[in-house]
Amino acid sequence: MEFYSKLLQKLISIQYELNSYISTTIRSLNDENSLSTSLLILGIAFTYGLIHAAGPGHGKALVALYFTSNKSSYKKAFKMGYMIAVIHALSALIFTFGIFFILKTMFRQNFNDFSQIAMQISAVMIVAVGLYLIYEAYMGRKYKDKKMKKSKKSEIAVAFSAGVVPCPGVMTVVLFCIVLNQHLLGILSAVAMSIGMGLTISIAGILSIALNKKSGNFLSDKGYILEIFGALLILTLGLFLLFASLK
Amino acid sequence: MKKLLVFLLFTISLFAHPHTFIEVHPTIKVVDGAIKTIHFKWKLDEMTSTILIMELDKNADGKIDKKESAYIRDNYFIILKDYSYYTHIKVKGKLIKFPTPKKFIATIENHKICYSFSLDEKYIAKDTIFEFGDTDFYTAMILKKEFVEISGAKAKVSGVDNDFYYGYRLEIK
Repeated sequence: MEFYSKLLQKLISIQYELNSYISTTIRSLNDENSLSTSLLILGIAFTYGLIHAAGPGHGKALVALYFTSNKSSYKKAFKMGYMIAVIHALSALIFTFGIFFILKTMFRQNFNDFSQIAMQISAVMIVAVGLYLIYEAYMGRKYKDKKMKKSKKSEIAVAFSAGVVPCPGVMTVVLFCIVLNQHLLGILSAVAMSIGMGLTISIAGILSIALNKKSGNFLSDKGYILEIFGALLILTLGLFLLFASLK
Repeated sequence: MKKLLVFLLFTISLFAHPHTFIEVHPTIKVVDGAIKTIHFKWKLDEMTSTILIMELDKNADGKIDKKESAYIRDNYFIILKDYSYYTHIKVKGKLIKFPTPKKFIATIENHKICYSFSLDEKYIAKDTIFEFGDTDFYTAMILKKEFVEISGAKAKVSGVDNDFYYGYRLEIK
């Protein structure tokens, strides 16, 4: 794990640099340099999201597990990443603006509690998705032709549970922009960051499909066993996260 | 087996990734091989600071006065005791309890909230190692060589991986 931890530490120090660069740049924004500076900020926000999601968490495990247990194409993994990005950007914006304007000064006091609760909600959702996928795999074991339709539904379920709980990192950027009266830039930054994160998550999905392809098709008749196994792992992951967040 | 591998690879550190960055600026005075004074200044990242200032600078004068500083100490700083103030002190390789920080004061510098505090303990310099990191990984502690101000000895800064957190190590030679 030596390499993995070195990588993580490097990722953290890059995020630290990007984070301070974004804040200084947003603060220096004025009428004369607004367009080019805004574009620069969005570019950095994208990179920030890309790297931020490369750290642990952010639904990569969920997406990876889903694709290791379901036959799928790279295109689908890519689509999944972006579905998550869209859901994530929307939820981050709704949550941040909502909480900011409703609670205003109470925001920060609740911010940490909120992150904790958000984590619990997402863990419960992952458990629910796991249960749903088990049910679906079991019921669908004899109906191969219906597979396409049902697979779409479960993909949305996975994307929803991975994306619906906003990342505090994105919320912080949005909130920072709101405080500095750069509302539009805040919205665009959340979108840019979410796209970056979506790309990283897509890559996790693509990697797990690649791994899956290598393991062959020997289970093609009894594919549902594999699906149930994957769903069980997702369920375990959800329970694991739930206990971790309750501690 | 492969699935187990993927599972482990992606979940090892759970939801952990930093959202707050804190620069650690230590000032250390060493006399005759003993640490005489240790002073820490934490600089919170600008984004977190901006959000905190919104709430904590109650009279919104852009400064943190005595009352506001005491409020921050009681409500934001002291609770970090549970996390050993993200600072892990090892004496002769053994982790010791973090002493109660003294002379806490919060200020705003360049849009950043700064926490300053001192430790009263007298450590033998060569036996003592400071490690900075959040075991929960929510906060990233950043230590760079140029942040350290030291007299009477030399400081060495390196990265450290303690299985459950990544951080920086400060050794005094």
